[in-house]
Amino acid sequence: MSLPLYYFLAITAVNILMSWALYVPYRMAHLHFLIVANMAISGYTAAYMVLSLHLPFGLALLAGFVLGAVIGFAVALFIGDAPTFAVVIVGFTFIYITRTVIENTEAVGGTMGLFGLPNIGGSPSVHRWTILAILYGLVALVGFLIHRFDHSQLGRAASAAFIDKDLTTSLGIDIKKMGILLQTFSCTLAGGCGVLYGFIYKSFHLDYFTFHVVGILMTVIFVGGYTTLWGTLLAAPVLYGVPLLFPPEVASWRIVIYGALLIIVLVLKPEGFITTRFVYGIESFLSRKRGKRTPLTKPQEDV
Amino acid sequence: MEVFIAQVINGISLGSIYVLLVTGFNLLLLVAMIIHFAYPQVVVFSMYIIWLVLEVTGNNLILGALAGVTSSILLNLISAPLFQKVMEKRGEVDINSTMVMSMGIGMIITDVLSHGFNKGHPIAFPDTLAGGEAILRVGLISILPGQVSAFVVGVIAVSGFFLLLYKTRPGRAFRAIAEDPNGARLVGIPLLKTGLQSYALSGLLGGLIALLLAALIGSASSGLGEQVALKVIAVSIIAGLGNLVGGLVVGLSLGILEAIVQGYISGTWSNAIAFVIMLLVILAKPTGLFGLKL
Amino acid sequence: MKKMMAVGVLVTMLFAASTGIAQDKVVVTEWQIPFLNCLTGPLASHGSMYQWSTNQAAADINKAGGIAGKPVRVIGVDTANDPQKGTVEMARIVKESLVALGPVPEPVIMAAMPIAVENQMLSITGTTSYEYASKFFPWSVAWFPPYPKRFPPLAKAWAQEFSDMKQVIQFVEPYGPWPMMADAHVAGLKEAGANVLKPIEVPSDAVTFGPLVVKALEQKPDGIIFACNAEKIAKMIKELKSRGWKKMDHLLVFSSGDDAPLYTVGGEDINGIQVYNYVNPDTDSPRWNAFKSAFMKDHNGMPPFSLSTNYYDALFMIKEAIEKTGVTGDPSKLKEERKKIADYCANVKKFQGLMFNWDMKDGVPTNKPLYIFEIQGGKKKLVKEIKLAG
Repeated sequence: MSLPLYYFLAITAVNILMSWALYVPYRMAHLHFLIVANMAISGYTAAYMVLSLHLPFGLALLAGFVLGAVIGFAVALFIGDAPTFAVVIVGFTFIYITRTVIENTEAVGGTMGLFGLPNIGGSPSVHRWTILAILYGLVALVGFLIHRFDHSQLGRAASAAFIDKDLTTSLGIDIKKMGILLQTFSCTLAGGCGVLYGFIYKSFHLDYFTFHVVGILMTVIFVGGYTTLWGTLLAAPVLYGVPLLFPPEVASWRIVIYGALLIIVLVLKPEGFITTRFVYGIESFLSRKRGKRTPLTKPQEDV
Repeated sequence: MEVFIAQVINGISLGSIYVLLVTGFNLLLLVAMIIHFAYPQVVVFSMYIIWLVLEVTGNNLILGALAGVTSSILLNLISAPLFQKVMEKRGEVDINSTMVMSMGIGMIITDVLSHGFNKGHPIAFPDTLAGGEAILRVGLISILPGQVSAFVVGVIAVSGFFLLLYKTRPGRAFRAIAEDPNGARLVGIPLLKTGLQSYALSGLLGGLIALLLAALIGSASSGLGEQVALKVIAVSIIAGLGNLVGGLVVGLSLGILEAIVQGYISGTWSNAIAFVIMLLVILAKPTGLFGLKL
Repeated sequence: MKKMMAVGVLVTMLFAASTGIAQDKVVVTEWQIPFLNCLTGPLASHGSMYQWSTNQAAADINKAGGIAGKPVRVIGVDTANDPQKGTVEMARIVKESLVALGPVPEPVIMAAMPIAVENQMLSITGTTSYEYASKFFPWSVAWFPPYPKRFPPLAKAWAQEFSDMKQVIQFVEPYGPWPMMADAHVAGLKEAGANVLKPIEVPSDAVTFGPLVVKALEQKPDGIIFACNAEKIAKMIKELKSRGWKKMDHLLVFSSGDDAPLYTVGGEDINGIQVYNYVNPDTDSPRWNAFKSAFMKDHNGMPPFSLSTNYYDALFMIKEAIEKTGVTGDPSKLKEERKKIADYCANVKKFQGLMFNWDMKDGVPTNKPLYIFEIQGGKKKLVKEIKLAG
């Protein structure tokens, strides 16, 4: 496999997973930017474990997931049912605090960053295949879980909460518990992604985890579509890959293009390019082809 | 004691920036129901326009001020139909959409400023606007004209807009349209005219804030809006979204808190300390200390 | 006449033999050198300056006959301070390129340089510190010696200029290597007998600087060193003046602060302060004069800043390496020729830089001078040259 393709695939996978980490709590209208702080916390911790404590990568990755889950759960206890803007501010605040703590902690390189993360499995080739296998294994697993979630009672409850929290509560659904569950899941995923992100670059620097990352993830889910997981799967590679093919004069304006795209999509296609109705249509088509009944899941617009 | 007084004055100066921006932010929320995350970026854009006109006209302050106010009003009026379009259903989710849209606007403004103005370098305002000489200096205590005008205008703006929105007919009309356009139409409020007036009003305040910040800070960079955006929104949330008086109190308090932490504890930890306090308040009281005014 | 021509041919042959030129072996029609640079994003103003320097170098090289007789072109590759973009671009470049310039800045260096190292291609990150570049030796070379060698003599020389320099304080911003640079100043200040006060930490997102300046002045320093962003330095100096600071030459700005915003934001308020860096604008040589006037013409009359010459020199170093080691650009010899260039650059002697000649030892320059200047009316006046021994 060519090197550019490897980096494209690996970073795309991280962007897909992170966008899903944003997507899951947004199913109940929580824009949970804590995930970016979690990436940094778990990533730096795992790197410290490997570089300074000489622990194996697998253990460090596991620790990254666990740390993400613990932080996500602890914070969700407070904001599991908070309004969206409060969730947004908590996420941004955590990014700031995390950055300040890391830049003042010499053990993880402070403002300089961490260098020299080793190849997993010894050689660069094994390292690359291992990273890709883990990442795309995760994409498959998480995609499957989110797909099941979207088609479950819990998913429909989240859709209801997205539209009207009070009404959902009156139907007997515990909004807070649902928020805690979704936020913890997303933070767990972000923790693992943070570790893998650093091992792709073989280094860690604070500027890997900036508000720029928030902008990319947000564009992915709002342009791709925030009501199904498929939008992310389409938008993440396109939004990352297409600008790489732009001529330099155009590429230099890609943030403006991202911003404009975000606005245009919000105005013209508020649910993004891939909507539940679109997915429902495809599912119906496939079911008819297979001679089965129409799937039970209805598009969210009809809920 | 001299140091403490100096730091409190520094804090009020910093807090005035937050107060001005949070007042503009709250005003948009009250008259148009928009959570405009990128409001500070819009203000910084107007600062750049002021600078541009000053450069072109050889520091003509009147033209610079006019350009700043006009650009802010125009930017608001141009973005108005976009915001209105995503707010058609008027639920909490649609307010979230305005938030995301404003983030998109912020991304564009910041990048355009870093590309298109002064080769990406920060801009500096002339001393005639920024006012170099202190009007009072006793030991370490120093007060600059820009600090006084920002603080005074901040207090006047909060009081003025509070009176306008809650004590006058046009103010009630603004709020009625923001909260329930159909209801407002039923009671005879002209939607288009009043809606445009409300956007123009918040644009006017944005231009005024740009002018005051130019005088207070003396320079601007493309990233300035992003630098303060989070704190501005945090101040608004801690005070209670849309609460003008709460914004004034919390904005000044945050400025003083930061100054005290920087002066007595640590510079690099000052943000973390301020953010931890903000975080604790948000976690404990998500609707704000002074209550929502929506 | 014939005799003269024969002598001319002989001299040319001898020169070619001595320098290793083998023009007939060169297989490329044009040398293409990629430059991973931050052409957009928050550091675009720096990136455009670096790009300008390499374009100027390419133009000067081509005017003088190119590299081994073939023209050179620098291909700007935008990384936009984004590691996601930087890695893919570096992965593309290492497929075919002999050598590269950049990446810029540190987050992209950290993400993309491991790719150059793994593929054994020299990439000259000419604007970063030894502390970053050294992690990637031998596939990178440092443009500066390590901080503990560089800054103590400089800080000592500055402090010793003034008999009343008893207490010094530093403003330090937590960005990349800046805190380490500030630490290196401390050793020199102590050698000069000054009491070094606890540094004032400058938050990256600070908007006003009153609290920090009051905290510094409260400790009654005699001198101040600034190790932070240029715009912030200018604002802090204004703040210091508004609180009665008079001894302007007792303020020293570190090299990364010698940047356009210091002058545009600082204006008249920075008159009399001192800065240190590696570029002496008063150097008088035809090469430097031509560079300086071209730079000023394209930058609204501003003289070249601290890092503006680095990539100009880097391209000339690559030219020298190609010509002196007989690199042909033949794709079948890519690995071998990459190593030749890297080895040459790591230990080049008496390299003729734009400002001065210097030697490299194992990828580190051994004898680059540093200068302290005083600023008056936006112009620099040389105060002292500090020679660093290898």
